[in-house]
Amino acid sequence: MTLARALPPLGSLAITGSVAVTAVGRGRHAHVDAMRTGRSGLAPCELPGVTIPCAIGAVAALADAPFPAPLAAYDNRATRLALAALAADDFAAHVAAALGRWGRQRVGLVLGTSTSGIERLETVFRAWSGAGPLDPGYSLRHHSDHHAVTAFLMAHLGIAGIGYTISTACSSSAKALIDGAQLIRSGLCDAVLTGGVDSLCLTSLYGFEALELVSRSPCRPFDAARDGLSIGEGAGFILIERAGDGPRLLGYGETSDAVSMSTPPADGAGAAAAMREALGRAGLLPEEIDFVKLHGTATQINDRAEGEAVASVFAAPPAAASFKGMIGHTLGAAGAVEAVLCLDAMAAGLVPGTAGLAAPDPAIAIAPRRESTPGAIRHVLSNAFGFGGSNCTLVLGHA
Amino acid sequence: MTARLYVNAVGFAAPGIESAEALRRHLAGAASAPAEGWAPMPACLARRQALRLSEATRIALMAAEQIGAHVPRDGAWVFASSTGEGGTLAEILTALRGDEIMIQPIRFQNAVHNAAQGQWSIIAGATGPMTSIAAYDETAGAGLLKAMLQATIDGTAVGLVVFDAPMPEPLLEKRPIGLPMAASLALSPAETPGSIAALDLTVVTGTAATPSTPPQAADSLTASGNPVRVLLPLLQRILSPDGSEITLALPGDAALRITAMEAADAR
Repeated sequence: MTLARALPPLGSLAITGSVAVTAVGRGRHAHVDAMRTGRSGLAPCELPGVTIPCAIGAVAALADAPFPAPLAAYDNRATRLALAALAADDFAAHVAAALGRWGRQRVGLVLGTSTSGIERLETVFRAWSGAGPLDPGYSLRHHSDHHAVTAFLMAHLGIAGIGYTISTACSSSAKALIDGAQLIRSGLCDAVLTGGVDSLCLTSLYGFEALELVSRSPCRPFDAARDGLSIGEGAGFILIERAGDGPRLLGYGETSDAVSMSTPPADGAGAAAAMREALGRAGLLPEEIDFVKLHGTATQINDRAEGEAVASVFAAPPAAASFKGMIGHTLGAAGAVEAVLCLDAMAAGLVPGTAGLAAPDPAIAIAPRRESTPGAIRHVLSNAFGFGGSNCTLVLGHA
Repeated sequence: MTARLYVNAVGFAAPGIESAEALRRHLAGAASAPAEGWAPMPACLARRQALRLSEATRIALMAAEQIGAHVPRDGAWVFASSTGEGGTLAEILTALRGDEIMIQPIRFQNAVHNAAQGQWSIIAGATGPMTSIAAYDETAGAGLLKAMLQATIDGTAVGLVVFDAPMPEPLLEKRPIGLPMAASLALSPAETPGSIAALDLTVVTGTAATPSTPPQAADSLTASGNPVRVLLPLLQRILSPDGSEITLALPGDAALRITAMEAADAR
């Protein structure tokens, strides 16, 4: 293909801004501080209507901020998470600068989410009489539709380039970065806002509870006593531009397990293949990776399979950690949120540890770090895996 | 951006129209009469297995299986659907209304937007990159665009499956879709011995989409409200290439301009 030959290399694209909002706080300072001190944002679940004894990672004070009046139809917990992320670290100014630099039609938006604004629909559904129409004031297009948060952000930010939504469960927003890079390399966009949003909702909480995967305490990734995941919420954005300063998306890999909707194979073969592909695209050897950001959900099977996969790719596994004990599993947002946290650690000169990990499980092939320590990360490999056997690995860093 | 893709197989599924050939005949004027109580039923699963899956997943699998042999095991797949597993979510939402909330585990794991993609990966043993995309009424355009990016950037074969199925009430009223519909294309960046058509695709900005009513198509398809319907003009030209151009709306201020040719004419 003539097109393939003309493509700018992946590593020439720049990450010119990134931000995350999670249970531990808003923006870089809050997350670096939490990493440094080992602070977790997980707390006992007090959501109305929830009787599951568990910990959740809730973002505080979401309801307090004003919502843009012309777009009030979109007001829900997911869009509020997105707004919180735009406000943190003045991230919206980065987007505005990109729009000014390239023009509205040359800036795209790819967002990953698994549940969009379904939290709002749950409320409406629970208030429904059970017969006849739903609340006439409820608009599916503006809330529970998969594309709703993306449509909201395009209108709110004035993005007029191509915008669509990825929904591959818990790998969604990691994959959004790949689409962003593809849109720029193909020449369709000069900048793409990528990332993900997922809010706490009953569907996720009771769904994972039905699968017997919700921990009774704050989750303990890779710990011998781990007993499941803790659900969190969050928003993470990464702005990718055709040119500029900043770290790079150096490589990525995407594979499918093709064995089960919800459980990886014991050897983590699909995950390992995604990591190898990402290293290959980055042109890096395993020993050139300084830190592996594990998906690390803290379920029995997932952590063991990911351990096998990492051990099969890395003869001598580098420093590795899971963020899920700190922020919970932010589901569709996890891939982007946790990639942002990697960039935060990189900028702060910190090699992250794993909140909630006390005694690494000797049955797992790798032992992640417990504590964060000062240290330089040049290349990070970041995993995100989801239902449907969807594996996505990103390699981020400086060329 | 301009790219050429080759179409190596086409699939289609809607009530009473269960193949690309049936769609071609229908678009040429043949009547379609679905059997009483018609329901999507893929051939790749035993009936009992299939009935555990949603109507949306089943119609998607019907389209996927028609092109499956034309995408290598490690090829890429793009699934595109606006409402995804809305029907399964409706069952969960109903369970959430109960005094004691009990969700069936299989319902939850099959409620994700990429359920059809996950099921297909297992059925086909497909281990390559797969994604699942939504963009409201521009979902079909977004799916084809993503397939184009994947095929041209990585030089790989791509299976594209676009599908949507009606949700039950009371959600149906909020997103009226009259019938289930799915379309699929096996695409490759280079011609293969089995290529049946070539597509020249250009992304243009500010162009309105052409009306999506191909001649003779039954109102049940074109007036269905199903986001897949906007692919009918493209499918018609792939199945009977006449060198004319169509425009498919993309999300954002853009559109895909597409010319379909006989593969031989594209050499």
